[in-house]
Amino acid sequence: MKIKITYPPVGKKRIQRKKLLNILRWPFLLAAVLCPVINLTVGGKAWSVIVLMGLYMVWKLGLSTDLVEYNRTSQTAKTIITVCLLLFLIDFFLSGGWAVEVIPVVGFCGLVVAGVLFFTDFQRQQQNMLPLLLLILLALAGAVVGLTVWNERAHWPFLIMGGFALALLIACIATMGGGFLRMLRRRFHIK
Amino acid sequence: MKKTLLHLSEDTLQALTEQEQQLLQEFFADFRIHCLLNKKEKKRLWEDFERAILYYLDGGLSLGEALQRLDVKQLGGFYARPPVLWFPLDDAAKIYPLSMGHDKMTMFRLSVTLKKAVVPELLQMALNFTIKRFPSFATTLKKGVFWHYLDTNKRRFSVHRESGIPCQPLKVSASGSQSFRVVYWENRISVEFFHVLTDGAGGMTFLKVLTAEYLRLTGVSAVPGETLWDCNATPASEEFENTFTRVPRSDSASGFVDKIAVQMNGKLSANKPCRVLHFKMSAAQLKAAAARCGTTVTVYLLAQLFLAIRAATDELQGEISIQVPVNMRKFYPSRTVRNFSMYCGIRLPVKEIEEAKSLIAPILNQLEQKASKESMSRMLTATVRLVGMLRCIPLVIKQPVAKLVYGFLGDKIFTMTFSNLGVVQLPEALAGEIDGMDFLLGAGSTNRVSCSMVTINDSACLSMTKMTVDPSFEEKLYSLLQADGIAVEAEGSELYED
Repeated sequence: MKIKITYPPVGKKRIQRKKLLNILRWPFLLAAVLCPVINLTVGGKAWSVIVLMGLYMVWKLGLSTDLVEYNRTSQTAKTIITVCLLLFLIDFFLSGGWAVEVIPVVGFCGLVVAGVLFFTDFQRQQQNMLPLLLLILLALAGAVVGLTVWNERAHWPFLIMGGFALALLIACIATMGGGFLRMLRRRFHIK
Repeated sequence: MKKTLLHLSEDTLQALTEQEQQLLQEFFADFRIHCLLNKKEKKRLWEDFERAILYYLDGGLSLGEALQRLDVKQLGGFYARPPVLWFPLDDAAKIYPLSMGHDKMTMFRLSVTLKKAVVPELLQMALNFTIKRFPSFATTLKKGVFWHYLDTNKRRFSVHRESGIPCQPLKVSASGSQSFRVVYWENRISVEFFHVLTDGAGGMTFLKVLTAEYLRLTGVSAVPGETLWDCNATPASEEFENTFTRVPRSDSASGFVDKIAVQMNGKLSANKPCRVLHFKMSAAQLKAAAARCGTTVTVYLLAQLFLAIRAATDELQGEISIQVPVNMRKFYPSRTVRNFSMYCGIRLPVKEIEEAKSLIAPILNQLEQKASKESMSRMLTATVRLVGMLRCIPLVIKQPVAKLVYGFLGDKIFTMTFSNLGVVQLPEALAGEIDGMDFLLGAGSTNRVSCSMVTINDSACLSMTKMTVDPSFEEKLYSLLQADGIAVEAEGSELYED
């Protein structure tokens, strides 16, 4: 059977990149299995939880990125949420006490960055509003919980985070106008 | 004047008369009111017009004729209005974004081979004019809380020179990304679709309009009608409906689960596909061969495919199963270009596969039963019910479960897929400019080969997407067809394996 070639030759670059991801999978899986085993064998503080969270962050944010909606708004929101989660785990499993002040400050800074990235490319980013909205809602919920649960400690980090989240939400609604409701209808459709 | 034009050289402009320069000024003034895209996209679209004008002028066409062919009015209001439309995914499409992975995306490709080499400048303009007719294609895949959806994306959609492996996953993650790609190579125009957008029938409608628009720009015009949509008509809502929800439900529903099928034994390639092949045949010869067996072309080819699979597997037990997509439009007439297909599985025990003639009756029997309106309606009802049941479960829960189930089952219940798009009808003026068409399915995860077929004029093209280097399947199929008196011309790609 003689085959007439009717397709262009293909470069190698793309093929190699795909292979790289497949190769990297194995050291990550090995580390994810070995660390808890060593941690359980040696005993002591649960540092392997932090390692697992770190591995997850590197894998999800750096290597195996989102297949749908990988944009500046979604990535910023995702990074801030996972960093806050990592800080909480470090505080909980390794050295406690500081996260109540640090996480709201990090959350506030993250909201500032997310807001700047959103409004400096508003035309395009308004289609990517949902992750920012989730970040805002999480910040608001975090502020309410923080002010209620840790009411004997300093209030200012929660107030700053919650206040800024609320301001950002109002700014988004005011800028998008009717588009905000249309966006919600799309994002929450069950058709 | 020069300031407003980016690519037309001083020499070109000098060669124009004052009246022609005035004409050009008016043309681009008209363009400005038809295009309110952002600066970057507007510049690209503007450049497309200039390149096309330059191509025409270099080819000796008068400026007046060139501007008439490129009439800005054909952009319609598409580029002048902000994006407001959005489309929930149809019931069949909902699984595709849930189950996709970095190197796994359900793609298919439709190509048309013209008698003359493709002019990229005109193909780009043809796409610029065609996209307005297909608003559900001018979209970006987005993630909702419960389901994915398609969000309208107003931009200049681009064509590229073909340079990669066919049916590779598209990058749909970026803001404003396309869910289809248009590529060209020598005489061939190809459109590769992510299945969330459309099925084979819908994709063919798009390719036909794109080809007709391209040919119009080259000076070959055809009157739109039953076989060809009018590129400048206003899109109607029924053309983009989720027809699944409109169809009356069947009393019973049948599931999708079946026994694991026998697979061909060739080692799965690292690159998927590792090769694509086309067997080009005379439709008349194929029909005659099928008639000699007393059956239809689809049944005849299914019998040959079973024999070819048998030659490509060492298994002695189990069943070989071929998945056959069924266009539901033939049971429930619909103008939709969204997905509206179901499928059935034709299964035969390995040990019973010996010669073509003995396979015809069981295949025909199964096809009549399993691809009947009743059976398909049952499957459709099951699909609609499943979607209904899952609709209020958040995507964050649905997605990992769907990935797990799909990853576990995948395409293992089938040995291969055979999708026959049938005979493509086009106005005579256009059909005369076309050498052939081909239809290619994307790579599966376990199946070693996927087959598809499309016929235009007297040219039938049976295409194979290969996921193994082992040539047993195609060699057997080739010899079977040749033995039945069908002259087969084999075309395709090089092996994409290292």
